[in-house]
Amino acid sequence: MTKRNYATVNPCVMCQPMGSALAFKGIENTMVLYHGSQGCSTYMRLLLAHHFREPVDIASSSLSEKGAVYGGRENLKKGLRNVINRYNPKVIGVATTCLAETIGDDVPAIIREFKEEEGIGDDPEKDIIIIPVSTPSYGESHVSGYIKALDAVVRKFAEKPGEESSVKVPNERLNVIPVESLSPADIRELKEIFDVMVGDYIFLPDISETFDAPLREDLPKIAPGGTPLSEIADMPNSQASLGLGIVSKNLAVKYLEESHGVPGYDVPIPIGLSNTDSFFTELVKIFGCSIPEKYQKERGRLLDAMVDVHKYLYGVKAAVYGDPDFVFSLTTFMLELGMNPVLIATGSKSRDFEAKVRQIVEKINPELEPVVLNGIDFDTLNDAVSQCNPEILIGNSNGRYIAKARNIPLVRVSLPIHDRVGAQRILNIGYRGAMELLDRITNTILEATDTFTAPRQAEPAAYTEKKSEEECVEGLR
Amino acid sequence: MKEKIGIVDTLEERKPYITRKQEKGQEIPLACDNNSLAGAISQRACVYSGARVVLNPVTDAVHLVHGPIGCAGYTWDIRGAKSSGIETNRTSFSTDMKEIDVVFGGEKKLSNAIDELVELYHPPVIFVYSTCIVGIIGDDLESVCKTASQKHNIHVIPVKSEGFKGNKSDGYKAACDALKRLIKRPSRDEIKKKGPRAPETIKPKINILGDFNVAGDVWLVKPLFEQMGIEVIVSMTGDSTAKAISRAAEADLNLVQCSGSMTYLAKWMQAEYGIPYLNASFFGIEDISLALRRTADYFGSEKMKEKAEQILETEINRIMPEISRVRERVKGKKAAIYMGGPAKALTLIKGFDELGMEVVIIGTQTGKKEDYEQISYSVRDGTVIVDDANPLELAELLIRQKADLMVAGVKERFIAYKLGIAFCDFNHDRVVEFEGFDGFVNFAREVDASISSPVWKAVRQRILIPEAMESEKKSGRIEKAAVEERISRENYAKECKGMLLKPEIRGCS
Repeated sequence: MTKRNYATVNPCVMCQPMGSALAFKGIENTMVLYHGSQGCSTYMRLLLAHHFREPVDIASSSLSEKGAVYGGRENLKKGLRNVINRYNPKVIGVATTCLAETIGDDVPAIIREFKEEEGIGDDPEKDIIIIPVSTPSYGESHVSGYIKALDAVVRKFAEKPGEESSVKVPNERLNVIPVESLSPADIRELKEIFDVMVGDYIFLPDISETFDAPLREDLPKIAPGGTPLSEIADMPNSQASLGLGIVSKNLAVKYLEESHGVPGYDVPIPIGLSNTDSFFTELVKIFGCSIPEKYQKERGRLLDAMVDVHKYLYGVKAAVYGDPDFVFSLTTFMLELGMNPVLIATGSKSRDFEAKVRQIVEKINPELEPVVLNGIDFDTLNDAVSQCNPEILIGNSNGRYIAKARNIPLVRVSLPIHDRVGAQRILNIGYRGAMELLDRITNTILEATDTFTAPRQAEPAAYTEKKSEEECVEGLR
Repeated sequence: MKEKIGIVDTLEERKPYITRKQEKGQEIPLACDNNSLAGAISQRACVYSGARVVLNPVTDAVHLVHGPIGCAGYTWDIRGAKSSGIETNRTSFSTDMKEIDVVFGGEKKLSNAIDELVELYHPPVIFVYSTCIVGIIGDDLESVCKTASQKHNIHVIPVKSEGFKGNKSDGYKAACDALKRLIKRPSRDEIKKKGPRAPETIKPKINILGDFNVAGDVWLVKPLFEQMGIEVIVSMTGDSTAKAISRAAEADLNLVQCSGSMTYLAKWMQAEYGIPYLNASFFGIEDISLALRRTADYFGSEKMKEKAEQILETEINRIMPEISRVRERVKGKKAAIYMGGPAKALTLIKGFDELGMEVVIIGTQTGKKEDYEQISYSVRDGTVIVDDANPLELAELLIRQKADLMVAGVKERFIAYKLGIAFCDFNHDRVVEFEGFDGFVNFAREVDASISSPVWKAVRQRILIPEAMESEKKSGRIEKAAVEERISRENYAKECKGMLLKPEIRGCS
């Protein structure tokens, strides 16, 4: 394996501000502003637009040389003022970039000052809520940026300044907070399950509409949808919080538990059979509800599908890469299907990733000795692929270089997917998601191993100029 | 009345950047070439991005980004520039600076990263891009690169592209400064010899500046000059190598296409090496013809001029039937142009004219005063001209100017789509060539494909009204026309609630 200690070749992570946008964009009537130079917002807008195929507006404080030398105070204030003027949002998430952090701007202080100047109070009913989050690109990754932004949002709405301890009005609601960004299709599926099983719940953040907006009669400045603000403010009163993901620490769930006494339950992201089982089991445990017939049937169909494909998948060597919790859940499912995930990797630096992954491998297929990597770049993954020889790759679009060079099929999941359509509609979650994933993986393998040959044509088709439409129609007659 | 309201609803400080070409030459000069306004959501990127897009097509270079991971990640292989050989440029290299590097400085890590990459990739040149925080913590890139250069005996060139130090145009300049260092200085005698000469005796040589070989553009352009007996030393930077760039000063003439990024380099080569330059575009029949004729004129040989005419005749005859076919289908349609650089915007005006289309909006991210003057001269009255536009302005302009098609990049694509307007990508994302004669056919076909798609008709009716469907079915043709009228774009624009169209304007449209 090539030994590199200093240079990163083909990054397998995105930076923290990116993660914060994925979180903020799932909140009702929210704009995001990056405090830094103009490029950061443009690059991340580009990536998100490529992936979701939606317009993505993210503001920037457009720091210039002057701002970098004398501080970004004026730029940030001006940026906020202009965003309010043009977009009239209810919330502005202000994420710092490495530039703002390095010049040492005290963003919370600048925001306080701004609010005073503009006469913006702290009443979520009528005032604009501005939420700062510290997300320099030189720290951790987009996964931590996402978690930190959600934590900041929950804290902002839960903490009521002026009141010593807010009065708790307990209700029967459930808070649901994933540790990684899920696809709009995933979120729609989860909400459907909660609608049926729980009834009253708060899902944070909800990008199911904001990043997958229907064509409508008008083009609103901020895409409708997202978690309603009143619901976020109500999170401390909920009966319980369900955290989706067990590898990364779910800061928001933890905060609600420690500061507001809302018990938090963490389950793996429900991808695959056993993870979806634990998800439903947890819901039943918390709420004492029963599992509706609909989902028993879906589970039965998944079992049926697993049986149908078991021979195609048994022993197939796979490499899976992506964000820590997503990879963990995906690995579980592959093990359940009899596949051999020989290479399991995440680009994020994650303390618990390897231990958790090894645990699940030990539990389901103790004979398997996978290579488990964390905090890697794609060049390292490439080296590992040549060592492990997987027959299929599962991960985001950036693995396509390896797939192409080595002629290994790639099943695209997670983010970013910029070279294929439908990223926003990829469903991996729940029993239905598991079935879709299973079909995609199996069909990809079948496509790659297919031995079907068409009968030889008598003569190779001659190249002809493209006929005009009329001629074609004429020809059909 | 209209003037009081402004052309579009936007921030007070943005208003000087938007103007309308008017009949009596009373237009207000357009503000431009400034840093983007905070919070206005510019479509521009940063200095680093400007430098990166210009240099990235150098195929055999290691493009090492000295900074945190984001800057390298978001620019990984986004240029769409094709290579005929090595593709080192499609790999993303970064020093992935962490907090500890920010605190203690990143010079050591950078120098170690260079050592590693030299050993692994053996590149002839490494471009080391500085990013925002490098400019703040003050790593001495110049000295690290110099040491590494001497140690490995290759070019290690710092690119001074700290994101906040200006705008995208400053990045172009930083890239040109880096390219300058690669170009080998010819001898004094060689420099003296520059100027028009008879091609019968010596084979004339040119460089093409500002063509990035997106989707393979250059490969459709180079052969045209080669047929005229001209050697194209290098195209900067599309499909270029360090070696080819080092030979650039051997040229007798520079043809500058992307003027925004490359005029600076061309002027420098003129001053330093006596190589004159001509502006040229290889897009559209008129501009390609101009480029070939002007080049032949420059060299002055009758034989070359004849050859140029011969090429033009053959090629135009070859593609004209297809262009005319498309023209019949798209003529009269209205186009909106929003480009990074002004050269592309200008050449597109002619291109659309050749397809019988009218330009109703034109804007750029980095145009300068002279560029906008030229643009204003080239467009019809009533066309809106905008500098450094933002999504809200673009969306409203598209509706007000009743555009049928937009030509821009990815970020603008989905604005157009949401409004039900056809779109053509002229930036990094396209997969077919738009330059050269076949490229123009590709462009025409793509414009046609997007405009003529039946989906636009479908999206005009965004809510299913069963009653309307029923009555349409029953009463046939007459009723159908009525339904279409009701859902035409004009009405849609009026109903565009989110766009905050002023009531006065509604009456005018």
